[in-house]
Amino acid sequence: MATTTAQLVLTSTDLLSDSLSLSAIATLTGAGNSTGLTNTGGLARKTTESASQYTLFAAASYTDDKAHKIYLKNMETSAGLYFLISIHDVEVGRIYAGDWALIPWSADTTSDHADFKITPSTNASHTLEYMIIHE
Amino acid sequence: MATTAQLTLNSGDIAGDPVNVTKLMTLTKAGTTNDLDQSSGLNRVHLRSTTNKVLLAANAEGNDLAAKVYIINKSEDASLYVTVTINAQTIGKLYGGDFLFIPWSQTDTDADIEIAATNWTSSTGDIPVEYALFHEDTDFLTNA
Repeated sequence: MATTTAQLVLTSTDLLSDSLSLSAIATLTGAGNSTGLTNTGGLARKTTESASQYTLFAAASYTDDKAHKIYLKNMETSAGLYFLISIHDVEVGRIYAGDWALIPWSADTTSDHADFKITPSTNASHTLEYMIIHE
Repeated sequence: MATTAQLTLNSGDIAGDPVNVTKLMTLTKAGTTNDLDQSSGLNRVHLRSTTNKVLLAANAEGNDLAAKVYIINKSEDASLYVTVTINAQTIGKLYGGDFLFIPWSQTDTDADIEIAATNWTSSTGDIPVEYALFHEDTDFLTNA
């Protein structure tokens, strides 16, 4: 069994009138158990040069309804360049330059396949780093 | 007015070489380097519904503006999970202790973020869920 942890630290000294300091740490485990996730696609990088939608992870390639986790980071530095994240045909949100996200993903195949997709904001070069940790 | 979020992913044994990813970001408005300046604060609810409940109501004025959502399942029971849905699409499940940190486009008023304690029963106890929204729309008042 592997042990993988994800830690988030959110900090702000001036967003609110009191300081914000939030920390959460999770050990990434399988669906409904305490067994550590044992598989990963490794840290990967993709550079796009088209504003077309790309399927980053196809639900059919992973076990349905499990506790998969996806990490994404937009490696761009120009603030206007983003990746739109979609699951099946639903838009989740945009990660702008420098943004990262950690997203649970069920890889649902019970009805429409919940493929995990990205759409770059323009045809310009966009680079994304990503990793899946899965059952 | 900077708010930062740092993620550290660490594993010494999931692959042949260690995984150690640390990334820091400053939460900014869409397409700019201006800091996000609105927050819901940290909220806590006790979920006992097997059907979807609106955690964060989408506001059409927030369409394609920058917003970040943090949700954590604070249950200590690994089997108790929270299903996270946007616009009727299951995104994923947060098991006990799991958290997410995601962008949120609020494409339309159907893009609410909803959660359900899908396998909750009266004998399992409530699932404590904490969440926070960081966003940029001054007219965006949600989940009062």
